[in-house]
Amino acid sequence: MLHIKPILSSLMRSKSAPILLLLQIILSVAIVANASFIINERLSLMQRESGYAEDQILTFSVYNFDPAVDNIKQNQVDQQILRSLPNVIDASSSNMLPLSDSGWMDRYVDGPNPDTAKSTPGFAFYLGNEHLLNVMGAKLIAGRNFTADEINTNLDDSGMMAIVSQPLAKAFWGEESPLGKTMYQGEQTVTIIGVVDKLQGAWVDNENFEYSVIQNIDFGGNSSNKSYMVRALPEHIPALEEAIRKALHAENPNRVFDNFQTLTELRNLTYSNHRLMATVLSIMVVLLLLITALGLTGMVMFNIQRRTKQIGTRRALGARKRDIIQYFMVENYLICIVGGVIGGMLALVLGQQLMSLYSLPMVPVIYPIASVIGLLVVTTLAVIVPAAKAANISPAMATRSV
Amino acid sequence: MFFYYCDLAWRSIRKTPMLSMLMVLAISIGIGITITTLNVYKTMSYNPAGDRSEVINSVQLWSQGLDTWDEFIANITYTDAMNLRNNDELSLKAATYRTGLALQSDNPKIEPVLQSVRVTDSDFFRIFSVPFLYGSYWDANVDLRPAYQVVISQKLNLRFFDGKNSVGKTVFLDRKPYQIVGIIDDWNPQPKYYDPLNGAFNDAEEIFIPFSLTGQEEFDVWGNTSGWKFETMITYNDRLASEKVWIQFWTELNSEDERQSLQGWLTRYVEQQRAIGRFTDTAKTPSESVQISDIDKWLEDNDVVPKDNKILVGLSLLFLSVCLVNILGLLLTKFLKRAPEVGVRRAIGASRGQIFSQYMVEVGMIGFIGGVVGLLWAWGSLTALHSYFSMDQSVTGLDASMWIITPLIAISTAVLAGVYPAWVVCRTKPSVYLKAQ
Repeated sequence: MLHIKPILSSLMRSKSAPILLLLQIILSVAIVANASFIINERLSLMQRESGYAEDQILTFSVYNFDPAVDNIKQNQVDQQILRSLPNVIDASSSNMLPLSDSGWMDRYVDGPNPDTAKSTPGFAFYLGNEHLLNVMGAKLIAGRNFTADEINTNLDDSGMMAIVSQPLAKAFWGEESPLGKTMYQGEQTVTIIGVVDKLQGAWVDNENFEYSVIQNIDFGGNSSNKSYMVRALPEHIPALEEAIRKALHAENPNRVFDNFQTLTELRNLTYSNHRLMATVLSIMVVLLLLITALGLTGMVMFNIQRRTKQIGTRRALGARKRDIIQYFMVENYLICIVGGVIGGMLALVLGQQLMSLYSLPMVPVIYPIASVIGLLVVTTLAVIVPAAKAANISPAMATRSV
Repeated sequence: MFFYYCDLAWRSIRKTPMLSMLMVLAISIGIGITITTLNVYKTMSYNPAGDRSEVINSVQLWSQGLDTWDEFIANITYTDAMNLRNNDELSLKAATYRTGLALQSDNPKIEPVLQSVRVTDSDFFRIFSVPFLYGSYWDANVDLRPAYQVVISQKLNLRFFDGKNSVGKTVFLDRKPYQIVGIIDDWNPQPKYYDPLNGAFNDAEEIFIPFSLTGQEEFDVWGNTSGWKFETMITYNDRLASEKVWIQFWTELNSEDERQSLQGWLTRYVEQQRAIGRFTDTAKTPSESVQISDIDKWLEDNDVVPKDNKILVGLSLLFLSVCLVNILGLLLTKFLKRAPEVGVRRAIGASRGQIFSQYMVEVGMIGFIGGVVGLLWAWGSLTALHSYFSMDQSVTGLDASMWIITPLIAISTAVLAGVYPAWVVCRTKPSVYLKAQ
């Protein structure tokens, strides 16, 4: 039997302390619900599979500053050198690096007339040769890779082909296979020859992050600033940087090497804002629960001291230890549940504000509910210790001074 | 009397060490978190232009076609930049973008390095009040007739020329000789407001070269190039002739008249361009197709303060309010427990005001200690942000204003939390407690 009525009336008699507790619970639920929703959002962003053999890919840039150099030839020589280095599985130049927050975005249209043609969603636009797929470690699920004699060097060459990512294929062609389709880029035609399972783009916050295309252009010849990706087993990568510098420098000293990074490092850097947000908010939630619990314990402890006589009297009149503990627990749960309901509603209002101000998704109702449950657990722990202590008050001691 | 109260407060704090520690902990953590997020927010939202914020303006044009972009883009096309540069009504004007070049000097001991380079006009240095240590910017003629001249930073000057006046000497950029005309004194505005698009907290470039060299030197663009229609860009001339946007344009406007006159000029310009088939999105009127942004607007439009940071500031203020409520509850229980003591003091002649001030001093002391500890928390977390999350030093350095803001927040939080309990306790009726004794 829970004696809710006497507890309620005792709460009503000294209102200020329970009201403060209520306020604290309300605010805590509102904060914890929204914070944990944001944390969860960020964590699931970071956990997405990229489709790359991340820890096997070393990326770097080369800048040839000798104006006399033939970029196309130099690029081919450099790639030969890279592939012949010991422990290198494969190497390729590329116009952009995955997960790097910087790169090319483009679209195709499905007909020659720009006024009537339908456009694909924007996609990350990788330009590379027949080695690029292997370097990326992407899984081909339909069609084929480029062959060496199909590789172009310029954007306006003919015979353009493309490998598209499965999410892009699904978004534009639905269940139909994109293989063999002809797409257009201005006057240029592009034939789809392959589909890869997964191939993320460069911008982790972009809604088209999963949409990518590789086109058969060896881009390293187009500019004096080139990016390369080299694939090797993780244990061989640390030694590779020096080997690459040395080999390429020996071939042509008029260049600068920069930005040696594994794809894992690049990914971590790109996601660092999200990791930061998740970390800061997690710390905030933990501290908030800690402070709430400690504050509650302190308050209950003082309440008990104040009510020592009352407790002693109740014990003398036959209340069991359980009843005393129960009294404090029920008191706590009453406040927690009322606070939780109001706090949950405040959490949704706050979530709505965040949604309209910063276009975050709306907080699902499960988050306030989970926060209330979490708070119930924390407050139980915070109350049970002082309550148990109170139950041990001997009736004789407590009533002696009466 | 104040010191006597301080003494009393200190004794009271020591009498309940656990509770006092709890209060200090709660207040310090609340303040630590608030100051951390506020500090990052304040440094990010700093406007380095100061009172020149309204004078320095960038120009945006609605040059896109129908159904393409739905907002103004920070950059403009090369064609528009060149036409704006030729507008003689503007007193100071500069087109600018970022590139990268390999830097070498006559000193064979120093290996070539790839350097970020700003390509711009001579007026850039005047618009942004760039301080010079030696020499000056290149002559205005160079903006019309390209010359291989360069302005470098003092840091590069130290590395290549031991910090001596190197005006007139030569450095090599991509193996081409450039004559040094000026050396900049320390200059690294944060946020990097003249180009926040490439990372608002990057360091300023250390090499500046004339924009007029663009056509002949065909510099790569280290920055965003956006297009709204398909255009093949095979040669550099394709880029220059294209509708792609990649150049920022800055000008100085000293009065509302000058702003109006530029607005008028730009409106006529849009009409003119429409007549020759550009600016094909006619949903906007010519005068609406023009945007002149001062620095405040420019920093806002370019999202220099990330939305994450604003959310964090909001949540940490809520967090602080939880701490406040927490302390309020603790103080209330503590003070009420001491009601009998107050009763006695009141009976032997202490006024309500004295009781009230005594308790407020105690609360203020807790707030002060909490503030000091909170500042330590903030300093620790900012250091952690810098070292574990590689946030820029300029953002994680403790802003000077925090030395005033922290104690203000700490003491006002504590006082806010203390007023009600102190008021309750000083209303104690002496008779009630005397009787109980």
